[in-house]
Amino acid sequence: MPEPILSLRRLCQVFDGVAVINDLTMDIAKGEVFGFLGHNGAGKTTTIQMLTTLARPAAGTALVAGHDICTDPLAVRRAIGYVPENVRLYDSLTATENLLFFARLSGVPAPQRRVREVLDLLDCTYLAGRRLGGFSKGMRQRVGLAQAILHNPSVLFLDEPTSGLDPMGIRMLRDLILRLNAEFGMTIFMNTHLISEIAKTCTSIAVLSHGKLVFHDRIAAVTARYGDDTALEELYLSLTPVGRLQEVA
Amino acid sequence: MADSPVLLIARQSARFVLRERTVALLATLFVALVLISAWLGWQATATVDRIYVDAAAFLQKSGQPVPPNPVLDISPLSLMRNMSVYVALIGALSAIVIGNRLVGLDRKAGILPLMGIRPISRAAYALGKIAALAGLILLLALLSGAIAALTFLMLPAVAPTAGQWAQLAGFIGASALYMAIFGLAGLGTGAAARSETVGLLVPVTLWLTLTFILPQLTANLNPTAAINPISALAPLPSTPFFDAASQILGPFSLADSYKFASARLLDYLPQGIASPSFIPPVADLVLATILATAFAWRALIRLSMAQGDYNV
Repeated sequence: MPEPILSLRRLCQVFDGVAVINDLTMDIAKGEVFGFLGHNGAGKTTTIQMLTTLARPAAGTALVAGHDICTDPLAVRRAIGYVPENVRLYDSLTATENLLFFARLSGVPAPQRRVREVLDLLDCTYLAGRRLGGFSKGMRQRVGLAQAILHNPSVLFLDEPTSGLDPMGIRMLRDLILRLNAEFGMTIFMNTHLISEIAKTCTSIAVLSHGKLVFHDRIAAVTARYGDDTALEELYLSLTPVGRLQEVA
Repeated sequence: MADSPVLLIARQSARFVLRERTVALLATLFVALVLISAWLGWQATATVDRIYVDAAAFLQKSGQPVPPNPVLDISPLSLMRNMSVYVALIGALSAIVIGNRLVGLDRKAGILPLMGIRPISRAAYALGKIAALAGLILLLALLSGAIAALTFLMLPAVAPTAGQWAQLAGFIGASALYMAIFGLAGLGTGAAARSETVGLLVPVTLWLTLTFILPQLTANLNPTAAINPISALAPLPSTPFFDAASQILGPFSLADSYKFASARLLDYLPQGIASPSFIPPVADLVLATILATAFAWRALIRLSMAQGDYNV
């Protein structure tokens, strides 16, 4: 395996005495587009929160771009970008004002120029002078992605990035993610429910169930072994506990 | 050169809060009341001075001795005594709202996770918020100080001495401290409370208790008298209850401490009356500010960047 950019070692998280992440150990190679699958409440967002240093693990640790999330959180933050599921920014400020604020907080040199570059890169210069208050979900997602890449991070975390987007929005976002990965070499860590998206975007996947890692492999190996998207869905469902399937039914 | 994260957070937070209508309205109301207080003081003094000038001319013409100008018998600083009431009422309330909104707007906007993943420490975030609060309160206090100074400069027959200018500066400092206590309480509860409403209600209840309830026990002051700068300084009845209450609760009765500090600094403290608290009034305010800063600091440091938004 090429050099890992993310190394999770026996990562655990506990909320109100209940273990929500249990001994999570895996490596993700540099340059991967990694899809993290799991049912609602499986612990995907909690994992992202720990890897982005938003929450401290109850036990275990992880190295992100070579920095320990527990002992060197500031260095981790310099190396990462994050787009939450619902992108929320200051609604009364314009896209440019919001981005300038985050660029300065991230210590980006020449922030004005960088904000223009990023808006241009994401084809959303038309949003620059508009206040966030009136933005659609798709527009917000673009500005959200813009704030995440202002400082050119090595790892980009996306939490359910396509949630609530229409098919056009999903396609545009997918193209952007692939571009960021191909042109800038960013490693993408993406939580998602959409198996079709995984097949089109990711180079490796993992499945989390009730806080435990139940599957982790490269997508090429998975499709070679199981066939098309439908087979991928079957694989995912076979890894999900029966109790959960009954709950959904 | 890049700005420090503390400065960036402070500047952005202050700018964002000033765009809030409630904050702008309360701050404008405070400045308007200070202006009215200054105008009333100026008008009363100017009228007495005008009558004196006319009477002195008449007395001089009729060959009678001219008594000294009564305007000069009292300290010009005492003309600003109503300002202490406005600081205790509307100034403190404005400070609570400013403090609450400084952190409440971040939590309402839902941007805490995006702040939390920046390469800034939680301490820088907390310090930025406290600096924004300090800046805004200082701005309010300086505005009221500038209005008071302008009033003195425009008053006929009144020329404050260097010492009196220093006392005025001291009063503005004490007022800033008093407002900061409530602002920090608003900031702390804004960060610690789970809901926006509770975050605002708790410091408002504290303000009501300190302004209207505690002075009843420590200064035998009914709520309406509490808003009068002069009757608020009446002597305490000498009874075992008031002796004990003023000793035990005196240091917590911050509205009383502020009134005594203001009365001393603005030269309107009646003879023979002193603060019943065993801690001197200004020291009491300084101590309370330190405690309120510690509370706000702890609440801000403990604010979860992952789960701190109101919608979570």
